[in-house]
Amino acid sequence: MTGAPPMGTVEQHDLANEIYQLLIAQGTLFALHAPIRQTLTNLTEFLALRHQYDHETLAVAIETALEADPRFTREEVAGEVRFVTSRHGAYMPRQDIDTHSFRQRLHEPEHPLPVDDISVVVSTSRPAITSVEPVYISDYWQVQVGIAPVEDGGDEDEAETGQFVAPIHESVASIDLVSSPVVPFDEGLPTANVVTLAETEPAITAQATGQQEAVETEVLRPDMPQTVVEPVEGETITHAPVTPVAPVAPVAPVPSVQMPPAGRQTIDRSTIFTLPDGTMIDLRQPSAALLAEHGSAMAQLLADKIEQDPLRRIVSFGRYYFPEANVVNLGKNDLRKIREYMLERNEPLLDAELINDVFYHNARQADYEGLRFSINYRLHREKDFEFVGVEGANLWSTRGLPVIGGKRIKAAEMGQITSYLVEGFDDSRDSIDEGTATEVTSVTHQLTFFEWEYGIIPLDAALAALLPGPVLSDQRSAVLRFDSPQRYSQVLVEVRYPTGNRGGWLQGLEEFFHEHLVPSARVTLTRTDEPGIFTLTYEEGSESDERILTFDEKKNKLGFNNVTFYCAIDEELLPSQSRLGRLNRLKAFPMGERRKAEMILEHVAEVIGEQVGSRAEPQYAITLDDFFVAYNVLRPASKRLLRSLLEHSPGFVADETRPDLFTYVPMTGTDVEANEDEDDEQREPEVSRADVPPTRRRYGGRYDEDDE
Amino acid sequence: MDAKMITFGDTAMEKLLQWLRSVGEPKDIDDLLRQYLEILSSLVMEENE
Repeated sequence: MTGAPPMGTVEQHDLANEIYQLLIAQGTLFALHAPIRQTLTNLTEFLALRHQYDHETLAVAIETALEADPRFTREEVAGEVRFVTSRHGAYMPRQDIDTHSFRQRLHEPEHPLPVDDISVVVSTSRPAITSVEPVYISDYWQVQVGIAPVEDGGDEDEAETGQFVAPIHESVASIDLVSSPVVPFDEGLPTANVVTLAETEPAITAQATGQQEAVETEVLRPDMPQTVVEPVEGETITHAPVTPVAPVAPVAPVPSVQMPPAGRQTIDRSTIFTLPDGTMIDLRQPSAALLAEHGSAMAQLLADKIEQDPLRRIVSFGRYYFPEANVVNLGKNDLRKIREYMLERNEPLLDAELINDVFYHNARQADYEGLRFSINYRLHREKDFEFVGVEGANLWSTRGLPVIGGKRIKAAEMGQITSYLVEGFDDSRDSIDEGTATEVTSVTHQLTFFEWEYGIIPLDAALAALLPGPVLSDQRSAVLRFDSPQRYSQVLVEVRYPTGNRGGWLQGLEEFFHEHLVPSARVTLTRTDEPGIFTLTYEEGSESDERILTFDEKKNKLGFNNVTFYCAIDEELLPSQSRLGRLNRLKAFPMGERRKAEMILEHVAEVIGEQVGSRAEPQYAITLDDFFVAYNVLRPASKRLLRSLLEHSPGFVADETRPDLFTYVPMTGTDVEANEDEDDEQREPEVSRADVPPTRRRYGGRYDEDDE
Repeated sequence: MDAKMITFGDTAMEKLLQWLRSVGEPKDIDDLLRQYLEILSSLVMEENE
């Protein structure tokens, strides 16, 4: 051996480089930042043998060179000098202390929000899989809200009860401080093959009883990469304990989700909650009992709450509810196809028909009901479509379909004309028992002239009890099918529901009435098993020929024609010429004028009533039955409405000797003026009624025979 | 859960929504109410045991 040459900076740098390359070769398979350790003794032995240098001098040179090199860190363990480096350069111990972890911030927030309701902690995010999964709430929040006691240890409970308790991650995680033994270089091995088991990165193991003592002993993990290493002859493999790498900081306790064992503990908490209206609901009662007692109120409340949900997570159509996320979206093309198909069929269509014929979906498919709901829900939001169905028969109409019932009467005018039904003048209301209203299966109705002429039947209480109500709150009409088993025909009828102070009615029966019936015929509507289908029957009779009232639409004139019919009639209500002959050749009022009930009443009294006064002071006597028949020529009305009008209208006086006989004294021009301006009347001298010739009051739209 | 903390129509609506999703078809208001009452009942009764 020769002495080592004096080393300058360059030589030191070269030596350090050589050693670094050696250690890199040693840790070729190590992680980039994993420590690569070697003792000064081993390095000296190896380099002295390679370069034939003196051991002592070389050891000093190595130590000097490596201490000056920033890539190396000097360690001294048990009196032995070691140098540490890494493939990345200077070895930096890994820092596992996480002071800003999401877990820590979640479970130990600096400023926790006040928790009034534990439900606010539950996430509102939708799970990807549509399955019922338990929502775990951390112990922290449960303790915060005071519904869970602070757990001391789950093991004891588990041992005592034998119930499963989820493992609790201890706050002090065991630290794996496995250190690799330093293996000396073998003289006979090439440098590239000399590899030691290096220390693995500290890891948090799951063992609950990790002990520091066990860690410090030699642990050769079988799963670690390993190469055959033979100890240098005469040397002992040292397994000196390595300076512990910075320990992992204590991790915040991971909350355990514990399934409370049955019967473990009974906490006395209230089981009664209160509805907004003050109703107390005890959840210990079975659901059936609660539904029977408070079902309707709670259902309405729940529906309102779902409706008010700003996220609109649950949407509804009628009585049915479905998650908004599951609703199938319909594009413009889908809507166009639906509309075109409706126009092609030229009638309102059921949702089932749309699914079958437009979307080619059948009821056996699993998503049928979902698609059905989606179509109804989407169409309801489109302005081009209108729901005209009933419960159990979702019927849809669209813009461009023929109007059922024609356009002879505007809906607004008809709504006002039938307003007497919602104002308490409905004769059929007396015959309806509120308790059995839903059990009504058929209703018989006698046609008036107006109903026969226009094919319209006012929706009185009896019909309302028979026919299905609206499904949607904003539904204004429904289309029903009336089957006539006597004529083997069917009629589409539109039911216009009452809104506000306007009454409802049925329209679309004009053609059927004109073809088969006459005024005063009795028709019977009967419910069928199908929700949107009813049967329309009438009492048949022998062939009859009568001269009855008709209306010429083109001339806008009433008249009498011979009509042959085959149905039973009520002679008292038949508008025959012998009874209403004075209506012949009279023009009818415009429909807008017929809304004025009092005006029509006076007009009917003047036309139909028997003149019992003088020419100067005319008076008209008329019975209530005649009033009813004649009044219903121009507009529908009930006897109750007529009686009320007769009792409260000025000029009408009830005959005391004969019931239901009324006398009408028309107001003179003076009376009109007197009513219009009392002040003027007081200033001017009184004018005798006899001095002024009687003048018939003329309303804006009144027509009579003299007007021609 | 203490029943006094229940706000009808707000509490546990997420669970009701999960149930409705899992069912996979529309349900009428009566079914919805029945399930909701069962959810509330289980919340209160299970934690009382």
